[in-house]
Amino acid sequence: MNHEIVLVEILDSHGRVSLRERLTLSQERPRFTVGRSVSAEITLDDPHVAAMHAEIELSPEGKLTVSDLDTLNGVTLAGKRLRGAKNAEIADGLLQVGRTRLRIRTSRETLAAEKPDQLRPASILRDPAWLAGIAGLAGVLQLIYGEWLNAPRDLLTVVVTALISGVVGSGVWISFWALLSRMLRGEWRWLRHAAIFLGMAAVFFAINGVLELLWFMFSLPQWTHRTAWLAALAFGCLLYLHLVNASNIAPKRAAIAACIVPILSGGTVQWVQQRQTMQNVNYIGTSLRVYPPALRLSGASSVDAYFTRAAQLRETANEKMKAARAYDDENEAADED
Amino acid sequence: MLLTRILPAALFALALVTLSSSAQTPIPPVDPGAQALNQPVAPATSESARDVLARVRPAVIQIKGFFGSNTAQAFHGTGFAVAEDGVFMTNYHVVAEQVQYPDKYRLEYRTADGKTGNVTVLAVDVRHDLAVVRAAGFTPEPLKLEPVVPSKGERAFSIGFPLDVGLTITEGVSNGKVEDSFDPRIHYSGALNAGMSGGPALNTNGGVIGINVSGYRFEQLVSFLVPAEHAQALLARSLKEKPDANRLRRDTATQLRQHAHTLLGALSGKMLTQPIAGYQLPAKIAPFIDCNAAGDPASNQPVQMVNVNCSAKAGLYVQSRLFTGDLRYSHYVRTTDKLDAWRFANKLSELAGATGAFGSRRHVGPFACENRVVALKGFDASLMVCTRAYRRIEGLYDFTVRVSSLNHPKRGFASHLDMYGLEFEAGMQFIRRYVEAMEWQP
Repeated sequence: MNHEIVLVEILDSHGRVSLRERLTLSQERPRFTVGRSVSAEITLDDPHVAAMHAEIELSPEGKLTVSDLDTLNGVTLAGKRLRGAKNAEIADGLLQVGRTRLRIRTSRETLAAEKPDQLRPASILRDPAWLAGIAGLAGVLQLIYGEWLNAPRDLLTVVVTALISGVVGSGVWISFWALLSRMLRGEWRWLRHAAIFLGMAAVFFAINGVLELLWFMFSLPQWTHRTAWLAALAFGCLLYLHLVNASNIAPKRAAIAACIVPILSGGTVQWVQQRQTMQNVNYIGTSLRVYPPALRLSGASSVDAYFTRAAQLRETANEKMKAARAYDDENEAADED
Repeated sequence: MLLTRILPAALFALALVTLSSSAQTPIPPVDPGAQALNQPVAPATSESARDVLARVRPAVIQIKGFFGSNTAQAFHGTGFAVAEDGVFMTNYHVVAEQVQYPDKYRLEYRTADGKTGNVTVLAVDVRHDLAVVRAAGFTPEPLKLEPVVPSKGERAFSIGFPLDVGLTITEGVSNGKVEDSFDPRIHYSGALNAGMSGGPALNTNGGVIGINVSGYRFEQLVSFLVPAEHAQALLARSLKEKPDANRLRRDTATQLRQHAHTLLGALSGKMLTQPIAGYQLPAKIAPFIDCNAAGDPASNQPVQMVNVNCSAKAGLYVQSRLFTGDLRYSHYVRTTDKLDAWRFANKLSELAGATGAFGSRRHVGPFACENRVVALKGFDASLMVCTRAYRRIEGLYDFTVRVSSLNHPKRGFASHLDMYGLEFEAGMQFIRRYVEAMEWQP
């Protein structure tokens, strides 16, 4: 090696290059210094950096090492802070001194292959703009259907009203995630978050509607918390997608958060509801969604069979009453003989 | 509505109404006493009321209930002597709290002359809202029970302690037995107010024809008496009994079960139906069932509706916020010629939503439900039956039933049946007869 070109990139908090310095190293002097001083080859403005902070050396084999010049804050390599380090290897070219992140590139680095420049993404399903548009349209159609179903006197007015509240509601949610993206990744990512939210909402309402219809068609037994569970699932997916797009969180961690948050919130709601049901003796909690009779596919049970089963209600009601009594405070329990 | 339980708010509202009306009408404020003296009244009426009051006054007491050791009263009513040795008749609802919670409440009497003492309950008749009590240390001459229902138009008087304003006599006329009522009652067209419950209603001879029991708060002098024959029956039974709080509670439970039995027995005849929009639905299934039906006369509505509401009005007061042995049902029938099947089905969904019959968790447990599609006569319907057990009255259950038709794209109904405090088997049998009576006959 006679001369070796080294590129020192100073990165901002989102990992983007804010400044580049090109240095030429020689066999005689294969190293350079970084620090706050003008005497350092790379001068940094970071108050957490010493005047002469670190010395970086390129070995003839092309290995980069760093030595801490006895500073207070030391150097950080692969997330580990080292004080008084001597010739510590900088494996991926990434190094932090003080609070400044540096990337050091040499001519020996391997570059990724050139990306093909397509005017359009391979599929519209990968394009947030298209996705957001399709999901938004689906949402609007669902909303119109929902209002139409109620057969209002003036469909247009109620649709417009519902649209306004829908736009405001989803706008607040999408803005929240866009703002988070801006803070954590330096990009707003409006379209992505819009696509995620509108898409999940559309999918949720579609699946819920289909399930409701299926339950009616086949006269399936009541599943009290069906919608609540589906909503928790949809919320989990929503959270996962927003998180991985808004922050640098590892997908695994995002998945854990997306599982824990709906389970905790859904579980708490269900727990509270159960406790309240115990106290609200007028609660029935069954609702029937009726569809046109032509859609019914399964038969009906006979009155005989129905009342044979219903005879067991006495037992169930007695058990529920005992459970409610056990739940009650001592004061009221003392009322019992 | 019970006389002892008028809300202070209602009283306040009444006072306001009086004030504002006197402000609007040119009646100068006069001392009411002086006005009564100056007012010319029919001598016969005045004499009669005065005579009756003079004769009856010594035998009438105010009965007061106290919570724990409080000296301020919790509730109050009236009682009158019906036998020697200080045996008095009153309403069950006057002493109900004490019967149900003997450790929490105590009873006292106060005579028209201000004498006070303890009251003990001897026997109760929950079905007819009567109770026999003993007043310690007060043995006036008993009044005479005259168990003959006076004919319509006969003059009658009622005595009691309304709203704690002192012994009062009101004058009215008997309107005979209430027609088509499950509860045997005399219709008395005279004023009955809170606090007069349990007081005697008398004929012009001073004989007790009935016991003050209830009235409609916002109607004009529509009041009710328990016929004296029931008092006589209870009296005969109670003279053999010794005071026993546990037996009284057992008695109330037994009587409530008997009442439930009687009620469903009275409904065991053919389940009469009426046709509405092609459906045969249970209608006025017994003379005492009160039904009304209403619809929307406008013909340009997308959905035409007919609502039928029926009620047995047979519920017995057991204690505060607890009535048992009653049932009511409603049919909400919908038809359309403007809406498609899809949107009409959505309208039916709105009717099918269910909240249970009203109850307090102090008295009943949570509901247990069965919910399926059943094949009824000529049509399929979703049928939900829910039931819950009583906490303190063994063997009684509430039922909430919802029937929703699923057979026609442009016609449908939801039927709600709520039953309170009935026995399980009998209740289920009634529900079965109720749904089996329904029929699709286009």
